[in-house]
Parts: sequence; C-alpha cells; structure tokens
Amino acid sequence: MFKKKDIILMIVVLLLAGGMAFTMKLGQGQNGGMIRIMVDGKEYGTYPLMTNREIELENEFGYNRIVLENGVAIMKEADCPDQYCVEHMPISKTNETIVCLPHKLVVEVHTLEENGIDSVAQ
Amino acid sequence: MKDIGKRAIAALLLLVIGAVAVLFFRDENKSATRNLLAMDTYMELTAYGRNSEEAVEAAEKEIRRLEMLLSTGSDTSEVSIINREKTGVLSEDSAYLLQRSMEIWESTGGAFDITIYPIMRAWGFTEKAYQVPSDEELESLLAYVGMEKLTYEEETKTIRLSEHSEIDFGGIAKGYTSARIAQIMEEYGVKSAKLNLGGNVQTVGAKTDGSKWRIAVKSPDDSLPYLGIISIEDKAVITSGGYERYFEENGIRYHHIIDPKAGKPAQNGLVSVTIVCEDGTLADGLSTALYVLGKNEAIAYWRVHSDEFDVILYDDTGMLYVTEGLEDSFTSELAYEIVHAD
Repeated sequence: MFKKKDIILMIVVLLLAGGMAFTMKLGQGQNGGMIRIMVDGKEYGTYPLMTNREIELENEFGYNRIVLENGVAIMKEADCPDQYCVEHMPISKTNETIVCLPHKLVVEVHTLEENGIDSVAQ
Repeated sequence: MKDIGKRAIAALLLLVIGAVAVLFFRDENKSATRNLLAMDTYMELTAYGRNSEEAVEAAEKEIRRLEMLLSTGSDTSEVSIINREKTGVLSEDSAYLLQRSMEIWESTGGAFDITIYPIMRAWGFTEKAYQVPSDEELESLLAYVGMEKLTYEEETKTIRLSEHSEIDFGGIAKGYTSARIAQIMEEYGVKSAKLNLGGNVQTVGAKTDGSKWRIAVKSPDDSLPYLGIISIEDKAVITSGGYERYFEENGIRYHHIIDPKAGKPAQNGLVSVTIVCEDGTLADGLSTALYVLGKNEAIAYWRVHSDEFDVILYDDTGMLYVTEGLEDSFTSELAYEIVHAD
C-alpha cells in the first residue's frame, strides 16, 4: 500500500516534527531563579541567581568561594584536594548542582515550587 | 509521482496545522519571569498566559516609575522635593498614598506614621549608618512626628509640612507597588501571576491549574524553615518582623520597626506579623502598625476590622496566633491558636 517514497516522506515529516518539538523544549528551559547552598546536609543560604555576588565559606571542612554572575553560579576557588568543583561548568538551570564532596558542600539551582511552595513572605 | 506530490503537500499542511496548534497552546501556557533590584530589595515577578511577557515588562516600568517618585534616597523624587520645600502638589500616586496613610494612622491610633522619617534617619536606618541616638535627640525629633504636623488640601492636592517635619512612604510603598502591578496584570489579561517584592507577596488569580498559591511565611528563627503555609488566591501576604533589618550595639539588638510614640524600636512582644488581605497597600501599612501595637491591641484591632484582613502573629514566647478567616487555608508544623472575632 505504501510506496517507498511515501515512507521516506513520512520519516522526513516525523523528523521535522521531532526537531520542532525539541527546539520548543529547549526554548522552555528556564533559569531556576535561586541558588541554594547546602553544607553537610543543612541549608547555608539561598540567593537569587540574578544578583552578582560572591559567597565565601570557611568552615571545619575547608574553604570555598562561590560566585554568582550574570545568571550563573560558579565555584571560583576551593582548597579541596580533588578540585572537581572548581572544574565544574557554571550552573543556571533548575536542579543543576556543583558538589564539593570533600567539603560536604552542594550548590544547587532550585525553584521554590519543588517543595510545593510558590513564594515566601518575609 | 503526482500522487506523491499531493501527499507531500497534505503531510506538510498537517504539520503546519499541528505546529500552529502547538504554538497556540504553548502561548496559553507560557510564562514570563522578571527579576529585578528596585526599592532596595530583590523583586521577582512571574506571570502566566498569552500576554505575560508584555505584562511583566509593563510591571517593571511601573516599579521604576514609582521608585523615582517615592524614593527618599533620590534628591529628585517627589517625596524628597516635598521634604525639602515643605510644600508641594502631590501626584495621583502620592495623593492616594497620603490618603491611605492618614486612614491607617487614624485607625491604628498613630501606630503607622509616615512622619517618622526624621527618627528613622537618627537611627541610621535610612543611610545604613546605624547608631543609637540619645534620648535628648529623640525627644527633640519626636516634636516633628505626627500626622497633625502636616496639612493636606484634597482639592488642590497640596501638602504642607511643618518646619523640620518630613515624610516617607517606605512603610506602604512596596504594598502599593504590588497592588499596582496586580492591576497591570489584569489590564494585560493575565489571570495568574505571583509577585514577590522583597518578601511582600501579591498573588493574582489562582495558579494555572486552578489550585491556590501556597505562600510560606518565613520563620524569624532557624528552628523551622517556615512558620506555616497559607493557601490563597487574589491576595497579598505581607510580613513585618524585627529580624528583617537590625543592627547590634553593645550586645543589644535594635530593629527597624520604630514605635512612632517612643521613637524607639517597638518592643511589644511580637516577633513577626503577617497580614493576608486583598489590598496590598493596606496589608503593608497594617503589618507595621500591628507589630508596633503588640499582640493584644493587634487582636483588638483585627476584631473591629475582621472583614478587611486576616493576620498571623508570632510572639517572643513562641506562640502562634491565626485569625479565623485563615482557619482552612493555614497549615503549620507549629501549634497555633485560632483567634475568633467574638
């Protein structure tokens, strides 16, 4: 019933549709808005991603310097032995993390909706 | 071959129709977020729906406009000019704010007062150069505080301040701004939006799935992340607490909510006051006023005005009080007492 060219056409159409869907999905990828810093499982602080600032942490586990700049967070400096966190690429999308395992430190992009809360009055 | 051509056209047509449908659907569900620093705070505006991008754009413009108009930190703002010249003709916005400020001042017995500005400056809260003023200094400055130190002629919108008196709409400006943005959202046909102006929350409509917004109230201490969560739609949630801004000198903590009668940080046993109200302007003014009044007077005030707002009070003994209008929409891990109107 289908000719060979029909099948080719169908494949082309499907590929086009798939491509479009993918582009739209990409377009929806949004910056999460907040950076949450967790030390040893406890929240150290939450900061808006859009503000440019430096956060220095010095505690029993070691030293880390996190920089928020132009909507991304990056680990600029750390005195951990492996330096994985410093080599990590900047993060900006919801749920992206930079982990400094030796210092029990997690830098995480999050949106408040994750825990069912839409906004915080303070 | 001809047949294939037709099929190809038909298939492409279907694809185009599908794409248009998807784009349309996406448009309905699209959202726009704007993060900005204004009025000394971090603001986050999120709108949903077709015109969301245009709406948040207009909202940002409105915030910038109001900031230029009301900021005491700018020499060229309307408020600064009036404070310098001691007289002036108010714009629509300032006239509205003055009227609302007078109402709240009167109904709260002076617990909210826009003429507190000279005292705020003496404490260094305006310039972030904190210091504890002497009792003599406060005594002399208190002579310039009080709404009776200004006159306002409604018809000509002319305000006159007595010598040394100054005004600041800071205690009400953010609430008014959030109310104005909610209006703009409606003008743009946005049916769902959440606005957070430095901790002052204003919601427009409900969430896109029809459920209510869940707004957490920050806990003043570290023992809990939140005092509780309120489920609301079309309302403002505004919290005042001494923990927001303060400084310490000789081991004593001085916070920024000044009792206009004493000229000193209010010490009436409350740690945090949250107002839930349709009117953001009222919510902002009352959160400060009820903090100054303290628990008993705050509850007495609410009993007279229970149709206008609801309130959550947290005191320094760790007790949490919630007025009855929030009974079904408030949840907390803490024990709390429901306050009834009668």
